[in-house]
Amino acid sequence: MDKLHLDQHISHQFNEDLEHLRTKLLEMGGLVEDQLKDAIKAVETADGGLAEKVIETEDEVDRREMALDHESISLLARRQPAASDLRLVMMVTKATRDLERMGDEANKIAKMAIALNNEGGESARGYVELRHLARNVIRLVSIALDAFARFDVESAMKVVREDKNIDTEYRSAVREMITYMMEDPRAISRVMNIMWALRALERIGDHARNIAEQVIYLVHGTDVRHTSIGDIEKKLQEKLEAH
Amino acid sequence: MNNAQPQKNSPAERVQQSLKKRYRAEARFRAFGAFSVILGLAALLVLFVKIISSGIGAFQQTYIKLDLAYDESVLGISDPRDEDQLAVANFEGAIRAALLTRFPSVTARSDKRALYSMVSIAAAFELQDELRHAPDLLNKRRQYWLLADDDLDTYFKSLKAGDPYLGRVSPQQVEWITSLIEAGEVRKQFNRRFFTSGDSAEAEMAGILGALIGSLLTLAVTLVLSFPIGVGAAIYLEEYAPANKFTDFIEVNINNLAAVPSVIFGLLGLAIFLNMFGMPRSVPLVGGLVLTLMTLPTIIISSRAAIKSVPQSIRDAALGMGASKMQLILHHVLPLAMPGMLTGAIIGMAQALGETAPLLMIGMVAFIVDIPGSIDDPATVLPVQIFLWADSPERAFVERTSAAIMVLLGFLIAMNALAIWLRQHLEKRW
Amino acid sequence: MNLSPDDRAELKYKTVGEKFSETPKLKIRGLNVSYAEKQAIFDVNLDIGSNEVIAMIGPSGCGKSTFLRCINRMNDTVDSCRVEGSIQLDDMEICDDKVDVVPLRARVGMVFQKPNPFPKSIYDNVAYGPRIHGLASRRSELDGLVETSLRRAGLWDEVKDRLLQPGTSLSGGQQQRLCIARTIAVSPEVILMDEPCSSLDPIATAKIEELIAELSENFTIAIVTHSMQQAARVSRRTAYFHLGQLIEVNDTQHVFTNPDHQLTEAYITGRFG
Repeated sequence: MDKLHLDQHISHQFNEDLEHLRTKLLEMGGLVEDQLKDAIKAVETADGGLAEKVIETEDEVDRREMALDHESISLLARRQPAASDLRLVMMVTKATRDLERMGDEANKIAKMAIALNNEGGESARGYVELRHLARNVIRLVSIALDAFARFDVESAMKVVREDKNIDTEYRSAVREMITYMMEDPRAISRVMNIMWALRALERIGDHARNIAEQVIYLVHGTDVRHTSIGDIEKKLQEKLEAH
Repeated sequence: MNNAQPQKNSPAERVQQSLKKRYRAEARFRAFGAFSVILGLAALLVLFVKIISSGIGAFQQTYIKLDLAYDESVLGISDPRDEDQLAVANFEGAIRAALLTRFPSVTARSDKRALYSMVSIAAAFELQDELRHAPDLLNKRRQYWLLADDDLDTYFKSLKAGDPYLGRVSPQQVEWITSLIEAGEVRKQFNRRFFTSGDSAEAEMAGILGALIGSLLTLAVTLVLSFPIGVGAAIYLEEYAPANKFTDFIEVNINNLAAVPSVIFGLLGLAIFLNMFGMPRSVPLVGGLVLTLMTLPTIIISSRAAIKSVPQSIRDAALGMGASKMQLILHHVLPLAMPGMLTGAIIGMAQALGETAPLLMIGMVAFIVDIPGSIDDPATVLPVQIFLWADSPERAFVERTSAAIMVLLGFLIAMNALAIWLRQHLEKRW
Repeated sequence: MNLSPDDRAELKYKTVGEKFSETPKLKIRGLNVSYAEKQAIFDVNLDIGSNEVIAMIGPSGCGKSTFLRCINRMNDTVDSCRVEGSIQLDDMEICDDKVDVVPLRARVGMVFQKPNPFPKSIYDNVAYGPRIHGLASRRSELDGLVETSLRRAGLWDEVKDRLLQPGTSLSGGQQQRLCIARTIAVSPEVILMDEPCSSLDPIATAKIEELIAELSENFTIAIVTHSMQQAARVSRRTAYFHLGQLIEVNDTQHVFTNPDHQLTEAYITGRFG
């Protein structure tokens, strides 16, 4: 179901333009998602080739970011969208930026993988935490993109809520890492790399939350940034009652 | 083979084929329009040529040169300054004496009568006028150009045209005229009398002025009455009258009145103005009243059209500024509608100018010699004058009829020109 | 969402948004307008605040112009038009047959869709209102009034050397500003504008919009427009009319980013079909 009625404009061209924008964003999201998965896999399997591939993909993500921005600007100039259309275009430009940042973070993780690979050594310390956090973050990104694909506020709210858990998990993982470093000073540089990767994952989670917040704004027109979850729920409740 | 060659039945090909047919139809259509215009113009041209060629002669009149004396004894007066004496003075005797002097061989009584009839009786009045203005001429002898009789005039003009009309002149008279012509004692000069005198039973004395003044007076009455009343009615109907059955009824009736044959208005005038109110017959006042009745529908309809054509945006602007209804009408509607109203009025006037039938009914068909001085003097009007002259047996009235038509047409053209001028100079753009 | 032309006027909507103002200049309550058998406006309740610019938008035939013309009783000129309800200008009731429209229209001026200067000189156009309302007793006073009005309409510099030329000799945009000058010459409190830019090019439109912004310091302005961008640019509040009903009134920014009513949304995003 398309709650925004993107296909009901008098102008068919406008329908197509908006639909195109949405599809392109989802494609870019898919690309970044893959990039992230590959980066994590590269770390886990110490696969330098896969890491290189992630880094190469970055160019494609950047190119898509620019293309989407270009399209958004042209749509603003030519169609002067209003209300939900305007919110969609604004959301797309912001989400593009978030996705591009996610790509950057995935890139960092891939670089980490290469660094870990070069360092060699067999210690598997930190991998468990990394894998755990990565699984949750990847899921979060996928839910966020799904929320956008279906303009689904419920899913978006789930992302906002779960990002809190990611943050908690990240903090506890960092504490673990510090413990490892204290236990085995020789592994410090290695664990530091893992820590960078964890940091990157935490940031990716934040970006996923941003996208989810944008989806809420897109659907309800309510700005939920920098707002506590309780307040967001209250606002949305009011909105639903108003209708 | 060439690929670009169009296929047998390509649209371009078919369009090309149908084009020829279309062009032919267009040309036929255009030719038909042009033919209609030419036909109309030709008819108009024939009319003009006919009228002008037969009427132009009336603007000149034949005069005979005679050696004449204001002889005291012949005139039978002693003091030309005395009006009473002038009134009874025998100017005809003087003319007869002069004629006998010119043609001494004429002795028989009947011959003398034929000789005398060559000079119009108006000549005596001309002489009388001259003596009144120059009493010193008494007992003096000089040469005069005397107005010839209409029969002689007709003969002389037809002689010049190469087709002498002998119906009203005797062989004897022809002989005398020929001798006068040979002596250079007959000539044509501009016929001032035609424009300065009223009707007369004698063709050579008949003028158009009486009818012209009568027309002007009648039209003046018509204009003064019909324009304000017509405009007032139009304003009320357009601006104030509520839209209901009664208003519709009035509107339908006004439109119907415009189509009523004008003679009906004459009967109406006869019944109301003459029989009921006892107004005098044959006067411009009553003529004007009757023509007012006839013209009112035209003026009301054209004024309403003019008021309707004032754009709604101007009304909105004035009302939006807080103008009252009267201010709207006086400041905006009337000035903008005025050219249209005036044009309508002038066209109505032109129609009234050419109207005969209703005036016949109220007696404006009478034979009136005097030039009317006011709206309650008996008068006739141009079209009625034309009708009267056309009905007269004398050959000389034929050209006068045409000349009067020319005057009437000139009048109409002048009025239409005025309408165009008013439209162009008063019309404001918005 | 897909409204067929058949679900006409029987549909009843409750106006959403901020109908009322804390400093109302005009209070419209329970306004119903009908032409002959056809009802054109249904139960409109709305405040128009002092010195605010309110834009009326909506598809053709939605009653926005009819609504506007009620405020200075221009609907009186339409015989079949019947108006019920109440419109108060400050404390004066407008919708009362006893009210004299002449002073009312001096207080509520109107600018029309098509520039409609009188076929008179520029000077006489502006001086017309003061003359009929007796606002200037001396010639010099009238001259001053004409100049002030033309200045406020941003037209003075363009026409000061040709005040005696006909108003119709100006360009379309200038004519419309002349009409605005003519309206403000009688110092109205409210100016109604019925699609004032619909026949103007974008530059003339921009000038009029600029003028509206300046005038809003002194006048309450209600503008009907077909251009949503124009409503978005000039107004503080926007009212959306649909089939004679006031669907939504809200802050313009709110209406154009996140309208409360889905009909408003459908209209401003171009989704009617």
